[in-house]
Amino acid sequence: MAKKVLVVDDSRTALLMEREILEKRTSYQCVTAADGQEAVEKAKQERPDLILMDVVMPRMNGFEACKRMREQPSTRDIPIVLVTTRGEESYMEAGFQSGCNDYITKPVNGEELVALLQSYLGE
Amino acid sequence: MNDLRLAAARKRLAECSGKTDAIEALREIVSNFLGSEEMALFQADCRTADFRTLWSFGIDAKKCNLLWALSEKGLEQILHGECHVQARAGESNGSKSVRAFVPIRVAHETVAVLAILQLLPQKTGFDRADMDLLALLSSEAGKALFPSGTARADESEKSE
Repeated sequence: MAKKVLVVDDSRTALLMEREILEKRTSYQCVTAADGQEAVEKAKQERPDLILMDVVMPRMNGFEACKRMREQPSTRDIPIVLVTTRGEESYMEAGFQSGCNDYITKPVNGEELVALLQSYLGE
Repeated sequence: MNDLRLAAARKRLAECSGKTDAIEALREIVSNFLGSEEMALFQADCRTADFRTLWSFGIDAKKCNLLWALSEKGLEQILHGECHVQARAGESNGSKSVRAFVPIRVAHETVAVLAILQLLPQKTGFDRADMDLLALLSSEAGKALFPSGTARADESEKSE
């Protein structure tokens, strides 16, 4: 069965791009959410194998969504990769404090993203 | 992967539901794909043969007269439909500051200019793939921004 990736971003453009990469360059299945709150709900319903999530979003940001998922037994162990424009060490540290496993900065390099996903999910 | 990025940008612009959504699409494309959170859009005004600020994001409005700082050659390049990229010495530690001015074309005419200013620290300049994306914005954004085909400032005001 195909591994499932939950992609979370309030930007339709980023979602389009990440979905294109997943569908055309990997064998993973893609489900999407538009903010942190929807991501928390979708993670419980869909049980993805990995979550790729933006940080700055309306309603609930990526750090808070990450914390909530770590509190839930059903989503506690899902690898979470945060995606953001800010690459400062203090900001990345805040991401790891919230419970993410990895961190990549925008603009996302497609090849690097695929390699990172494969390091968690295999080919 | 460049083809996927171009396809995503083209699809996003094609699906725009009006000027506000088109501006949001431009912001998303520049921020997510080109690595800048400082940008402005200038629209041509045929009454004055000038450009006026239509929208800006992440910059002080006072900086919006930056088209005036362009060289005559740079402005001419834009009016003829070519993207103009400036690389200048940065304000500190020998870093370079890169800016791009993208002509937004409708019916072989430059009807607006998208200025992309400060790049994010992790982004050092525009590579070939970025230039392909700037060219796509130049040819496709006009249809999204001015769907009625009335692209110059005075004409679009009448149609609104």
